[in-house]
Amino acid sequence: MTRYVMVADLRRCVGCQTCTAACKQANATLPGVQWRRVLDIEVGEFPDVSRVFLPTGCQHCGDPPCEEVCPTTATYQRDDGSVQIDHDLCIGCGYCALACPYEARYIVDEAEFAYGMEPMPNEAARFDEGKIGVAQKCTFCIDVVDAGIAKGLKPGVHPEATPACVNACISGALTFGDKDDPNSPVSKLLAKVEHFRMHEDLGTDPGFYYIWDKKPEDLM
Amino acid sequence: MPDTRLLPTYCYNCVAGPDLMKVKVEDGVATEVQPNCDAAGIHPANGRVCVKAYGHVQKVYNPGRIKTPMKRTNPKKGRNEDPGFVPISWDEALDTITQKLSKVKQQGLKDEAGLPRVAVSFGHGGTPASYMGTLPAFLASWGPIDFSFGSGQGVKCVHSEHLYGEYWHRGFTVCADTVNTNYVVSFGANLDSSGGPCATWRHAAARARGCKRVQVEPHLSVTGGTSAEWVPIKPKTDMAFMFAMLHVMLFENARTALDLPFLKDRTAAPYLVGPEGYYLRHPESGKPLIWDLLSATAVAHDTPDIDAAIDGTFEVIKAYEQGPDDERFEYQMVKGNTSFTEMNDIISNYTPEWAQSVCDVPASTIRRVASEFLQHACVGETVEVDGETLPFRPVAIALGKTVNNGWGAYQCCWARTVMATLVGALEVPGGTIGTTVRLNRPLGNRLASVKPGEDGFMAASLNPTDRDNWHDIPVGRNAHSTLVPLLGNNGAWSQALGPSHLAWMFLDDAPEGWERNSYPDIWFIYRSNPAISFWDSNQMTEIVAKMPFTVAFAYTPDETNHMADILLPDATDFESTQLIQIGGTKFVEQVWKHQGVALRQAVVEPQHEARDMSWIATELAKRNGLLRQFNQALNKGAGGISLKGEGYDFSLDVDQEHSPDAVWDAACKAATSFFSKGKEVHDLQWFKEHGFYVVPYKREDWYLYPTMVKQNLRFELPYQERLIRVGEELKRRMHEKGSHWWDLQLTEYEAIPSWHDVPTHYEKALVNMGGKPEDFPFWGITTKSAQYAAGSNISIQLMDDVGRNVRGHGSIILNAGVAKQMGIERGDRIEIRSLVGTTSGRAEPVQGIRPDTICIPGQFDAWATPYAKDLDFPSLNTIMPLSIELTDGTGSGADLVRVSIRRLEAVA
Amino acid sequence: MKHGQQGYSKTDKGGQRKKGGKRGKVGPWPRLQKFWDIRAACNFIGGGTGAGLLLVAGFYALQGLDNTPLVIAGFLSISFGLFMVFLEIGRPWRSINLFFHPQTSWMTREGIVAIPLYVSMALSVFFAGQFIGVLASISAALLAGLFLYCQMRILHAARGIPAWRHVAIKPYMLITGMTEGLALALCISVTSAHTALVPILALLLFMRLGFWLRYAHQLRIDGAPEASCNKVDDLFIWTMVGNLLPVVLLVADWWLEVEAIVVLAGLIAAFSGWYTKAIVVTKAAQTRGFRLPRTPVRGQGQSRVVGQSGFRQNQ
Repeated sequence: MTRYVMVADLRRCVGCQTCTAACKQANATLPGVQWRRVLDIEVGEFPDVSRVFLPTGCQHCGDPPCEEVCPTTATYQRDDGSVQIDHDLCIGCGYCALACPYEARYIVDEAEFAYGMEPMPNEAARFDEGKIGVAQKCTFCIDVVDAGIAKGLKPGVHPEATPACVNACISGALTFGDKDDPNSPVSKLLAKVEHFRMHEDLGTDPGFYYIWDKKPEDLM
Repeated sequence: MPDTRLLPTYCYNCVAGPDLMKVKVEDGVATEVQPNCDAAGIHPANGRVCVKAYGHVQKVYNPGRIKTPMKRTNPKKGRNEDPGFVPISWDEALDTITQKLSKVKQQGLKDEAGLPRVAVSFGHGGTPASYMGTLPAFLASWGPIDFSFGSGQGVKCVHSEHLYGEYWHRGFTVCADTVNTNYVVSFGANLDSSGGPCATWRHAAARARGCKRVQVEPHLSVTGGTSAEWVPIKPKTDMAFMFAMLHVMLFENARTALDLPFLKDRTAAPYLVGPEGYYLRHPESGKPLIWDLLSATAVAHDTPDIDAAIDGTFEVIKAYEQGPDDERFEYQMVKGNTSFTEMNDIISNYTPEWAQSVCDVPASTIRRVASEFLQHACVGETVEVDGETLPFRPVAIALGKTVNNGWGAYQCCWARTVMATLVGALEVPGGTIGTTVRLNRPLGNRLASVKPGEDGFMAASLNPTDRDNWHDIPVGRNAHSTLVPLLGNNGAWSQALGPSHLAWMFLDDAPEGWERNSYPDIWFIYRSNPAISFWDSNQMTEIVAKMPFTVAFAYTPDETNHMADILLPDATDFESTQLIQIGGTKFVEQVWKHQGVALRQAVVEPQHEARDMSWIATELAKRNGLLRQFNQALNKGAGGISLKGEGYDFSLDVDQEHSPDAVWDAACKAATSFFSKGKEVHDLQWFKEHGFYVVPYKREDWYLYPTMVKQNLRFELPYQERLIRVGEELKRRMHEKGSHWWDLQLTEYEAIPSWHDVPTHYEKALVNMGGKPEDFPFWGITTKSAQYAAGSNISIQLMDDVGRNVRGHGSIILNAGVAKQMGIERGDRIEIRSLVGTTSGRAEPVQGIRPDTICIPGQFDAWATPYAKDLDFPSLNTIMPLSIELTDGTGSGADLVRVSIRRLEAVA
Repeated sequence: MKHGQQGYSKTDKGGQRKKGGKRGKVGPWPRLQKFWDIRAACNFIGGGTGAGLLLVAGFYALQGLDNTPLVIAGFLSISFGLFMVFLEIGRPWRSINLFFHPQTSWMTREGIVAIPLYVSMALSVFFAGQFIGVLASISAALLAGLFLYCQMRILHAARGIPAWRHVAIKPYMLITGMTEGLALALCISVTSAHTALVPILALLLFMRLGFWLRYAHQLRIDGAPEASCNKVDDLFIWTMVGNLLPVVLLVADWWLEVEAIVVLAGLIAAFSGWYTKAIVVTKAAQTRGFRLPRTPVRGQGQSRVVGQSGFRQNQ
């Protein structure tokens, strides 16, 4: 089996939003829509304070609540574990967005562009009417991944088979790959580190791992 | 299917670049920025660009762009005057400029005061040079030009680090050897926001392998956030923290914890200091003396096979001191302290307990940090680099803005560099290293710039302060060669780093005994917006409005070109072509294992009537009859690479006009010939496909230490004998001229820096300006934003879009406890007031800031720039006074101001 | 209508670009969902009330009473709710697609139940007074109950909204639907209402109040977002009045026997339920936000244990 997951190394991430910007361009999302974004979280009280930068977006859950509630089957899970949306099926009811505990879904009912109602040439070139009025979210750049695999490339290893955010990340915080493949970059990485997943208590089995430390044995 | 191409180019928006990238172009439209994965393993961040680079796409198509050349129709200039810009043709625009230049030529290139009639201002840190194509060749062909009018340099750069860093270890910018270091104490260096992909990548990797960084700063910046520890220090008291660290290292640890061989052989620590404070010198050779423990005599510093005394006071039979203006103090049987002992005498006053009372940081924290620094220093260890055995000292100290510029910065730069020398961690693997030179020649080549000078140190190119050669009449309007000896007089860089705010201030009014500056007849401005990117934006706007004739290379309307007479829409980064050098070691953390060149290519056609800067430069040269000189300058390398060199000659015919592509084609061939030593020649077309060409760069060349050893030179630390002599001479010259207004700045010339109570200095300045300290109970500071810093992108919607995820974006950051006391909630509108103005914005209460401090990120307060003017973001610049009193001896100031907070309205 | 995050889309007030004032909230903390507005709330209002009406209509049919006005009212009520949903969704002309996922989606199930429900209501009215009509009315009542159950499960399945996800909202949603329907039924058939309706309404009102108070209490205990709890708590007076005042009025009517008092009681009982649901859907619907269990170790030092997300109720 294949289970594509994203790994974010919180030790590395600086919250620069390069992944956010790269995602926006790679997927031509409209202003305000961020399939990938990085939260800037403060923990503690002065003077004992930490600041944590938390990349987030669709967690491509093993048990996706969005897919469960979707009345149209527009949201579906692929055999590779990724959760996708068929924009032609979606009716834009927004239920999936409310079921998602990760605030990963967006619906834009009326397109407004970076500088108003008129698209710039770059926006016009990539504008997709099919994404208006329906749910949208991170796809793990699945078209790129699929195309890369078709060329014999390995997701998470070769940039041409890897999501844009991972390729763009300037701190090396993001890693992508098949968790069921013990030789994938994510499997090798996760074996060496301490990590958690967000809102695991909801039984979502998220496919987004957050590294917070080395494994203790590595400290020896 | 659209015709989709992926074209290589570079981003050099900010000094942290250049970084390599690719642009996706679909049917002639740029749609996407991507990393250049071909550079993996070559570029320090593996071919990745930071978030700002993604803004290039919108920059091309931004509807707010200036679309055609324009001229002003309203002769009145001012913020509230409509400039009445009307479109004109390129011919008309260039002819108008040519007429003005011709008039200047007729009158003489310099005015009655001896100042150039043409002034040029460029933006951030020299990066415009990577976009202005062949304009430098036009400037070179013209003759004297005043680069004095800054748009932030001095007040916005790491000024003292530039000057002292380059003076002490050829470090115009200084960084940790991050890939090798294990412990960094960072005083406000916000590299994870402003260091670009290279710094971010290197530091992230360092963290993952266990490198500890302690961030000492009043506001928990992004870099503070990513550090192992945040120490919230009171603003501008960093020097006390560092002095106390020195105290711990010098008085609370055994001498053996220090790198004694390094101190003895590679620094001036053993040099003996006489009663007048100058080195005791050998009566015949004039060489500084050191005490040889083996022979128990004073010997010249370069005597072989000696064991130099570090600590102590020694009696010398015969010696002299060299004072200012050739004064000599002759001695028989004179006692001299070693420089090291001189330092100890001063530092003995600065215990951690004393520092606690100054910095508001527990003495135990300071003590622990100093001890950790020592423990991590690995004194005595070595490492092999490129086959050479070098010291391995994986500890470093980084300084950020407001720490390394303005009052107190000299002390901080000194303490940082001295701490490095104490453990031998200066310019060695793992330690504190410089990355480039700008004030010495050859430009950009640190190692080649090291030449033996006086007293066993590197040669220094100081501005003269002796009676015969001192520039009593400034050569430029910021008087850099007159007032700041350390700057040298090596062209545009030296001049641009002068006290640039003085150039502006003295247009309006000059201090007693000083000539008021004349206005330049023509002022060219490029990639810069000093009206709001400097200090006291209101005053700056008024001064800019008085410029008689301003030619602005203009992207959008902005606050500075609102006052321009001619607007020239130059092509954006994606619309024009240029070849630049990459690799080796450059600003910030551009530390490569390769060097070579990269092409910025026109990935799309210029929008509207925008033109490539090289075309504009060629037209200006041609129309002004300077084509021959222009081409000659290009052949000499004014375009970034000499077109003729050993084994190759791609020189341009000097009498012909050449298209930008022809120029860059020659540059591509020359560069590849140069770097491959004639083995490879690649033309422009090759670069358009491949993007860059590099050859290996030795890692050993990251460090100055091997060069110092080879030339048997010492770092000029800890004692600043030369500077006190120069300072005294300068004081005499100023007084002889009847000028006393620079006296405060002259107090900075100390051989061993002592505590300067900078917070009180600021409070006194406030009182002197007519304010009451109790009315302004908070410190106002700023912080850089990764999305905006030096990106010229305040009109780029994408940056605002993604910036909103960052705490404090477009807001006023204040302590949550203080906010609660004042009844301020997140999103409430608050006003920040200083003595010179007010700025307002939304409140962002956070835990990560000291209660006595507020922080305003970035530089906004735009009122003319499209998009940005509607953001209604606050800006510290608006409320920062332009002040001589707040100008330090290097001519810089810091972004720091006393302010009050007032709540304006509650969240709706 | 709905926009997730800090959209700039024209109708997203939270994130709209504007000079000054408040920006769209971004960040890790819980925030109000913007996907379902009052139109979606109307589905729960109309659907719940309609279902309640149809339950009473079924009861009337069994009692041999004329239930046509109640069935028509139920039809109108449910149709109003569904129409409002039609107005809310982004691609209304694809509404047929919502029937595609009966395996897990309570929204699909609600839609599927609505089909025989409409048939039953039509038959009930068409064959009013006949045996088929009685059967149809009973069928409609059962399906209405199912419809109401689906609505309750729709809210509960929204794992992103703690105030909806909480198990204690389930009985409240069922009871308030019944209460609203019964209250309206009482108003509609006030001249001929079955005598059992008044005490049942009183009982339902007490139950509704109890379930609401339990919900409000548990929500805070289980660590739902502060803003959600506050919005729910803000309804305390409203729910006390909305549940107890009708009871007082009904008791008063025992002696006074003024029809207007019963109507007033019924309207208050219904309206208070509607308002409460509107608030729950549009104002108390904060997202869970993001909370870290641990802070990362940057280079050296200790990770700070932050604790799991505050919301503990996860059934």
